[in-house]
Amino acid sequence: MTTSYAKSRPMISTPAWAAVFMLLLLGCLTFTARAATDAGFDAANKLYEQGKFTEAAAAYETLAATGPVSAALYFNLGNAQFKSGHLGQAIHAYEQARQLSPRDPDIQTNLRFARGQIQGPTSATSRWQNWLGSLTVNEWTLLLVAAFWISVLSLAAMQWRPALKSSLRLPALAGGLATVVFGICLGLLWSAQAAPRLIVNTADASVRSGPLDEAKAVFTAHDGAELAIVDTKDDWVQVTASQHTGWLKRNQGLVLPR
Amino acid sequence: MQQVAETIGLWGRTALFRGWFRAWLGLAVLLAGISLRAATFTATLDRDAIQVGENATLTLKFDDGKPKSMPALPSIANLQISPQGSFQNYTIDNGRSSSSYTYTYAVIPAQPGDYTIPTLGAIVDGKVLTSQPLKLKVVKAGATDTAGGGDQLAFLKLFVPKKEVYLGEICGVQLQLFIRDGVANAEGILQSFEQLANNSSPLKVEGCNILKTGYAQRRQVQAGNGNYTVATLVTAISPAKTGPITIDSINATLTLQLPTGGRRRDAFDPFGMFQQYDERRVPIAAEAQKITSLAVPKENAPANFNGAVGSFTLTVSAGPTNVATGDPITVKVQLTGRGALEALSLPDQPAWHDFKTYPPTAKIETTDPLGIQGTKIFEQVIVPQSADIHELPPISFSYFDSDKKAYQTLTQPAIPLVVRPGGVTVQPSVAAVGRPTQDAPPLTKDIVSIKQRFGAPASTAGPWLRQPVFLTMQGIPVLALVGAIVWRRRTDSFAANPRLRRQRQVAQTVRTGLSDLRKFAADKKSDDFFATLFHLLQEQLGERLNVPASSITEAVIEEQLEPRGVPAETLNALHELFQSHNLARYAPVTSGQELAALIPKLEAVLKGVQELKS
Repeated sequence: MTTSYAKSRPMISTPAWAAVFMLLLLGCLTFTARAATDAGFDAANKLYEQGKFTEAAAAYETLAATGPVSAALYFNLGNAQFKSGHLGQAIHAYEQARQLSPRDPDIQTNLRFARGQIQGPTSATSRWQNWLGSLTVNEWTLLLVAAFWISVLSLAAMQWRPALKSSLRLPALAGGLATVVFGICLGLLWSAQAAPRLIVNTADASVRSGPLDEAKAVFTAHDGAELAIVDTKDDWVQVTASQHTGWLKRNQGLVLPR
Repeated sequence: MQQVAETIGLWGRTALFRGWFRAWLGLAVLLAGISLRAATFTATLDRDAIQVGENATLTLKFDDGKPKSMPALPSIANLQISPQGSFQNYTIDNGRSSSSYTYTYAVIPAQPGDYTIPTLGAIVDGKVLTSQPLKLKVVKAGATDTAGGGDQLAFLKLFVPKKEVYLGEICGVQLQLFIRDGVANAEGILQSFEQLANNSSPLKVEGCNILKTGYAQRRQVQAGNGNYTVATLVTAISPAKTGPITIDSINATLTLQLPTGGRRRDAFDPFGMFQQYDERRVPIAAEAQKITSLAVPKENAPANFNGAVGSFTLTVSAGPTNVATGDPITVKVQLTGRGALEALSLPDQPAWHDFKTYPPTAKIETTDPLGIQGTKIFEQVIVPQSADIHELPPISFSYFDSDKKAYQTLTQPAIPLVVRPGGVTVQPSVAAVGRPTQDAPPLTKDIVSIKQRFGAPASTAGPWLRQPVFLTMQGIPVLALVGAIVWRRRTDSFAANPRLRRQRQVAQTVRTGLSDLRKFAADKKSDDFFATLFHLLQEQLGERLNVPASSITEAVIEEQLEPRGVPAETLNALHELFQSHNLARYAPVTSGQELAALIPKLEAVLKGVQELKS
């Protein structure tokens, strides 16, 4: 007669325990970070409500630089900058908020309102750009991919079940057409967003005929003016707006996209 | 009528006609849309102040419609209005066509005074369109005219139509350049003078905002013994402080070219093309002018007065008027008239407390080059918060009429609304007013206040299009399509090849049969074992020899396999298997080991047969 001693084995192996521990640790860290972000956000909101707009703007800036960002954070930053009289920085923040949440009516309202305060030459976005910008790049991508998948999988299903050809022809065709249309829209939005812009953040910036301090001033761009960047040289950027073109020091504006 | 109905019924029954009917209907709607573009009618004066002896130009312009008949011109004492000409303009821009009919009239005053050209009415496309009333101030011909006229070749003059201007009011100051007939380079000088309108204003005025400069139509006047051509720059100014304001004098020097007198005709220049001129430098100066800036009176100022000075009319429309709570309504407010249109803003409407309001957007449509006459259109989105609302309360706007020196309040009646109860709609929060601190300059209007929740954090991974995993995933449907196409080709090919199909079926039969044989051997089922063995031999040989399986007997070994060069070992093994099957009929094998021993032999035989070329 033999007696066997079965070695007691844990129900979950060591690597599994390690994975669970790491997940829990990650969850705790995320929760802690989110709690810290919320606390910082609330503190900055309090400063804003107290009328300390400059301090609130600094607090929002710190949050944006050190932690996760959101459309609300950039929106509030834009409000604080606007109330501090920094129109260019406010528009810059609103633009970043709009890129994250393009259909938020609050963001649209404040961005439009801030743009209404701009004096002098500025680049206005066209109607089709506004329309394309009503969806984010990822949303356009999702539409494109959905149409692409519908089209290609319909074609695959037609190969798999020829009997379904007549009923699958429409989704395949419509999906293909939608793929082309969404692809064009995505391409246009991508190129429009990739085109760098400079938002003036000083009261009066002299735009000169060349990239030199001694060059003749062509026109004056005021705080908040949005100028399309054409070229760059050293610390200067060549900008254009409302049929005016000239050179501006890079530190007189904020560049979009970052 | 019945005949028409029958005809329509016939059309309805015919698909072809139905298609044509829809196409024509669409075209008709399109054309109707084009023709329904609203016609407009505007009346403008090129200047709002002139002197006796000068004339102003009245322009009546009809856009997107032709008047059926011209407006009856009013009979105004001491003001003669006579037709000058008309022209038609037709443009196509980006596929949008537009037309305009313009009629010009000379307005000639006989006496100084304040004249009003009343509202003019014209019938366009069956509708009566009206223009805004126009004001014209006529003053006595200045002493400088006669003093400057006569012997002077050129002179300059500042003309201010009003000596008292209110804060917020816009006044058009005229700078007039007179050049006597006969000056050879008069046209060039007058053009250069008028081009000053494109640059900064030549006026220097302390305590005034200089807004915009334009130029008026040239005119001919007689001053003293000379006939002069007059070019006029008009600059809109608006006082920024109360008290006396001086418009500084303006000095300049003109170089005038005068034909040399008494010159004999040159034989080499019979047409005078190379005529010589005397150049004369002529200093010109416009005397400084003084005006007084007044503050608008505080007495009797309406509660909703927000600084508008001028003369305006108010039009209000709203739509849609049948909504659910939470649905937006767009209120369109038009202020038409003369004044600082840029500075006009909508007054607060306290009666709108049941509505959530958003900051209005505004656009300006001017009808004069200075931009002080025209229409400012506000569009404000309001959201009813309760189903108890039955009307949009009356909208009022107050302004100070600088001519009448009194406040005027315009009120539009309430607009009926139907507000249904609606679902809960999340509306953007509006306008919590932040208190500006010392370092934050106060702003005239407000923005939507801050958000109280951080919201969903944005992804830091960037756009999906830049993520390799996402891009790789897009290969999945392509792979599925390629796989489906390959599968379809193979399936079609298999369906078109019966021998291949049989080969695969037999291979499957052999696989399951061998499995059954092992089971029968273990169970010592001799009959089943040999029946299956024989069946497998028939199927495999039948498939290779392309004959029905049922026709396979031991005789095929000599008849068909030997001639094909099948190895002798395989043939012998086949013989053994057939004979074992025959023997088993009479003497069944009861040992499982014996039965199992036949399986490797069968496998070897089947493998040998499978190598046989079909």
